[in-house]
Amino acid sequence: MWRDPVIEAYKAGVDRTLLRENLKLTVEERWRKLMDLQRFAEEMAAAGKRARRESIELDSKRVT
Amino acid sequence: MTDLGGLLGALADEGVEFIVIGGAAATAHGASRLTQDIDIVYARDVANLDKIVRALAPFSPYPRGAPAGLPFVFDVQTLRNGANFTLATRLGDIDLLAEIAGGGTYSTLLPTTTLLDAFGRRVRCLDLPKLIEVKRAAGRPKDFEAIAELEVLLEERGL
Repeated sequence: MWRDPVIEAYKAGVDRTLLRENLKLTVEERWRKLMDLQRFAEEMAAAGKRARRESIELDSKRVT
Repeated sequence: MTDLGGLLGALADEGVEFIVIGGAAATAHGASRLTQDIDIVYARDVANLDKIVRALAPFSPYPRGAPAGLPFVFDVQTLRNGANFTLATRLGDIDLLAEIAGGGTYSTLLPTTTLLDAFGRRVRCLDLPKLIEVKRAAGRPKDFEAIAELEVLLEERGL
């Protein structure tokens, strides 16, 4: 079977242990894990936004 | 966050003919990459469009990223007039696709799907080899890592 050398190169960076752990889960558990990850990403994005806003406010106070 | 159980459950409970594709399908097969929405290919017959409307209308679907206040009505006529819809709902984002590159329509994809049990329902999902084929057909550099991960999953599963 022909193998795409570009994809083969990317395979070196794939975390096989993580995938093996995923394969032990049921489909529902995999989807629930994805939702947990989405929730975490949203919380991190919100925290980053808050931190940037607070940093800007702090800078403006220092200037004045 | 996209409530996968809520959206898939609503579609399954109405008997909608649909196939989960894209990142959510990859997750179902064991992939670890983060995806924010759910993509489905749906059958285009009027009876199925009516089921989609009944399933999703309670969650206020609206074109994702569009300005508020558009005269958008989520009904069978709207679905008949279009093909692909990227929607935001109260349960999260969902893309409704009539056809995909490298895969075709609901009926042409059907032989390359698998039924999965989740959230107390049976959900039809694109199988792993076809998912790889479709991602390859899309030809997007951003998919290279995803394709590599899916091919490793094939190897790990001995397929």
